Amino acid sequence: MLLAGCQGPQSALDPAGPAAQAAAWLWWGMFAWFGLVLLLVVFLWLLALRRAPRHYTPEQARRLGRRWIIAGGVLLPGFSILVLLAFGIPLGLRMLPLPLDGPPPLRIEVTGHQWWWAVRYPETGVVTANQLILPVGRPVDVEVASADVIHAFWVPRLGGKLDMLPGRRATLRLQADRAGRYRGQCAEFCGAQHAHMALAVEALETPAFEAWQAARRTASPIAPEHAAAVEAFRPYCGECHRVAGVSDGRRAPDLSDVGARPSLGAGTLAREEGAMRRWLREHQRLKPHNGMPRHDHLPEASLDAIAAWLETLAP
Amino acid sequence: MSETRAQSPERLHQDFHAVWGNPTGWRALSIVNHTSIGLRFMLTGTVFFLIGGLLAMLIRAQLARPELPLIDHQTYNQLFTLHGSVMMFLFAVPMVEGLAVYLIPKMLGARDLVFPRLSAFGYWCYLFGGTILVSSLALGLAPNGGWFMYTPLSSAAHSPGVNADFWLIGITFVEISSVAGGVELAVSILRSRAPGMSLDRMPLFAWYMLVTSLMIVFGFPPLILGSILLELERAAGFAFFDVARGGDPLLWQHLFWLFGHPEVYIIFLPAAGIVSTLLPVFARRPLVGYRWLVLAVIGTGFLSFGLWVHHMFTVGIPLLGQAFFSAASMLVAVPTGIQVFAWLATLWTGRPLFNVPMLWLVGFLVIFVAGGLTGVMLALVPFDWQVHDSHFVVAHMHYVLVGGMLFPLIAGLYYWLPHFSGRLPSERLGRWGFWLTFVGFNATFLVMHWTGLLGMPRRVYTYPAGLGWALPNLISSVGSFVMAMGVAMVLLDIGLHFRFGRRAGDNPWQADTLEWATALPPAAYNFVSLPACTSRHPLWENPALGQSIAEGRHGLPTIDHGRRETWGSDPLSGQVREIIHLPGNSWLPLYAALVLTVVCLSLLNGAYALAGVAALATLGILLRWSWVNGAHPLAAPDARTRPGDPPLHSRTFDGPGLWGMGTTLLANGVLFFSLIFAWFYLWTVAPNWQPPARSPLPGLALLLDGLLLGAIVLGFRWLVRRLRRGNHRRLEGALWMLAALGLLQAAGLSWVLAATPLAPTASAHDALIAVTLGYLLLHCALAPLFTALQAWRVRLGLVGERAPYEPAVVLQWWDYCLLTFWASYFALVLFPRGIGA
Repeated sequence: MLLAGCQGPQSALDPAGPAAQAAAWLWWGMFAWFGLVLLLVVFLWLLALRRAPRHYTPEQARRLGRRWIIAGGVLLPGFSILVLLAFGIPLGLRMLPLPLDGPPPLRIEVTGHQWWWAVRYPETGVVTANQLILPVGRPVDVEVASADVIHAFWVPRLGGKLDMLPGRRATLRLQADRAGRYRGQCAEFCGAQHAHMALAVEALETPAFEAWQAARRTASPIAPEHAAAVEAFRPYCGECHRVAGVSDGRRAPDLSDVGARPSLGAGTLAREEGAMRRWLREHQRLKPHNGMPRHDHLPEASLDAIAAWLETLAP
Repeated sequence: MSETRAQSPERLHQDFHAVWGNPTGWRALSIVNHTSIGLRFMLTGTVFFLIGGLLAMLIRAQLARPELPLIDHQTYNQLFTLHGSVMMFLFAVPMVEGLAVYLIPKMLGARDLVFPRLSAFGYWCYLFGGTILVSSLALGLAPNGGWFMYTPLSSAAHSPGVNADFWLIGITFVEISSVAGGVELAVSILRSRAPGMSLDRMPLFAWYMLVTSLMIVFGFPPLILGSILLELERAAGFAFFDVARGGDPLLWQHLFWLFGHPEVYIIFLPAAGIVSTLLPVFARRPLVGYRWLVLAVIGTGFLSFGLWVHHMFTVGIPLLGQAFFSAASMLVAVPTGIQVFAWLATLWTGRPLFNVPMLWLVGFLVIFVAGGLTGVMLALVPFDWQVHDSHFVVAHMHYVLVGGMLFPLIAGLYYWLPHFSGRLPSERLGRWGFWLTFVGFNATFLVMHWTGLLGMPRRVYTYPAGLGWALPNLISSVGSFVMAMGVAMVLLDIGLHFRFGRRAGDNPWQADTLEWATALPPAAYNFVSLPACTSRHPLWENPALGQSIAEGRHGLPTIDHGRRETWGSDPLSGQVREIIHLPGNSWLPLYAALVLTVVCLSLLNGAYALAGVAALATLGILLRWSWVNGAHPLAAPDARTRPGDPPLHSRTFDGPGLWGMGTTLLANGVLFFSLIFAWFYLWTVAPNWQPPARSPLPGLALLLDGLLLGAIVLGFRWLVRRLRRGNHRRLEGALWMLAALGLLQAAGLSWVLAATPLAPTASAHDALIAVTLGYLLLHCALAPLFTALQAWRVRLGLVGERAPYEPAVVLQWWDYCLLTFWASYFALVLFPRGIGA
């Protein structure tokens, strides 16, 4: 029951990597110890209220008070703090991006935008958006930055969060111990659609990860029936969106593999049947104030054709 | 005058009423008496609390289920921003300040606070500033960047509307009120206690308020500076927080939390003071560990200024800094633990009564200790990285703030109700109110820890199903409505008691502190005669004290001079040093606050010319305010006192005004220090800081100007020293000359400002120089004005042999100008040269 209550795609109590595991241990340890302290204090307080009053001379009261104050006000917190730091500092150090003995960690650059994530793998040049694919069992250095306001990168099942500040770069060391899908979300309030800034995270076994990287390095072929959609897309959508081999816009999410992503609009809309068409028509209703203009002036047929083509972008 | 002793007590009270009584009707707006002002603060605070609570209900309604379409994102972002801002700035701080304004003079055995007009001014600033802020919601233009307004989200580029300006201007206006209250309370506690009430006999509530007031004086100015800089960046395009132009958004975070963390303790400490006041009364035993508690309170005050970075653990602070701030944050557990166990020992050794106020204190203990413990958890950096900015933090801070402030406050309100109404509260409705609030609160926020651990970030207006957040959010929403019913029940109970409550006799709780020696409800002058204080528990020592006070058998029992008077005492020993005569009712505070409102509204609407005119009008009113002081015919023309009594403060060298100016300059100095901090911070940390190869400042001209300032200050010092020796020959002429020289110096400074080629909109370097010079110019221009007014007062005979102390007050201003001038010279001219820029 308790364990079931702790599970969830974004639960810090359902860790899938060493950093999140350490934080979860800290939580349970502190929960147990501080729970005891709370119970003790409340118990003593209620007992003091309920028990039959006894007579204390001022001198006795002063001595008793001094004992209680030293025991409860100095020794108890002092001891708790020492224990906490003794466990906490080593665990915290292990979460830092310190140099490793073995092979260097995989670097991934993640840039926060209002309200989406740009993801780049500098070693291979692979670019994607709103999803983070990483290999299982290998340390990953996520290098975060921001293109506009402050965001925060947070994938609770893998580890803690790190602010993404304009003008600065910072590094977060993560590692996934198990293959699977996780969820991340912007944690620093970043404006109108802060609530719709999720990040789909997937940990793949090394061969699958290598295959994914290799596939992303080639552009998706354009089937002849989509040629018209591509022509409609290029001068309009292509201004902001990049699709490998088609357009080179940089203001909005890279769409080169949008057909393979689990959701649209940074976690706003799950990829069900017809989701792409719905997104293109209703995106300002589903995620108001997002940076993409309405497409009211485009004919329905053209919009549907673009949606159909985008669905095929899954190299 | 000795025949007054023979007067009947009724006659005496009538005579006192003639001098101290409050006018009715629209003239009530001119009341400056602390009892009325304190009640106004608390009533207004309650209204803002209800508004803030309503916003919270809307928030909880929207989050009750996943993807609810009840409230759109724009409204939601305004709701949570305003909920936080209203609760922190318009409820918590003014409420505890209001309670202290009401109680402190009564507890200290004084008739009023030492600057009654200042408390009235503070109240009006609070009312008008708060109204400006809240009205933005009705206009649909409420701030929407979160209550800590992080840049660059709050910058003109990302928040182009007027929403953020409402926050910056409205909150700054309210902060004037808070700082005014802080100065007022600190000086009153130090300088106007009952004869013999040495610091170690002071009621603990006064200790808590003394530390709190000083924390306000030191804690609020960084945010005031931050708000001014951000507004300058938004409205005039200056660069402070913009990385591209050499600024840094983290500077805002430092300035904000430099205020924001002490703020938490500014809210908590007065509430803890309530606990320390009520517990011994209901335990029927003096508080165990008085000195421990005093040390703990002072320790908390100091520690709270060294913790602000723990709000910024996730921005990538250097490792050593994190370890330091982490340990410091945990250390707060020590003074807090000392207080909790001192309270516990008091209960243990006492004979506790279990009534409604005690019930709220038990609720306080459970919730606050739990919140304190999660606070220690959050201080552990690796754990903080996980739960920072999640609903876990939302739960934690509500445990600390609601548990630590609201619960003791309600306990205190029940306790002091007889003071407000002359009646006692009921038992039954009060218990219902408590249990609903307690259960509702925990249902809302205990569960919210879990929501946060499940990964739900704060400040999201909606969330998808399937993340496990639906159930805990639903429980929280239901709980919040239960809590709302509890609060409604409490208000109903308090409202009904004004009509149906039992009449309270004298000192109905058998309390030990002097506020229970007044009539219930008290008269405006609190005490017809002012008792001496011989122990920490004056009313336990002498239960009949109230009666002998009312019979006029203690100090200052005459009123035929028509002055409002109270004792001025030694800050340490509490021995009487002089008689403080207080100003009567006045319209000036209201007028000053009204023209300041015009300043704020003009700034909001971009009418800068009008804002300038209104600012000058404000200055004029404040100068008039300072004019009606000392020996002025409207203040205290007749300085005669009874034989054996000390002189009036305005006829000595040491009045409360001296202390008020000093304390205000302390606050001002913190603001200036924050400005210099910003300079050094950006210089060392900003990613794109680009100092020019050569400083644009004309160093020599500035040096000469500073030397002139130094000479003026030396001259002024000499003048005051001479005056202290009783020599006032050619005082007027000397003052005129110093004023003229001061004008010359200010003109020189404005030449420097005009002659320096600065581009404040292009670089943070130039923007900070411009603001620093502007700051100096403002102060250096006011100094000769004050000096000229002194010269004029000497001519009119209001200052001089008879009333010598005002020049000493103005001297502090001159000293301050000199200090900030040379500090700026070091930072702006010498430092860049020294590091070879």
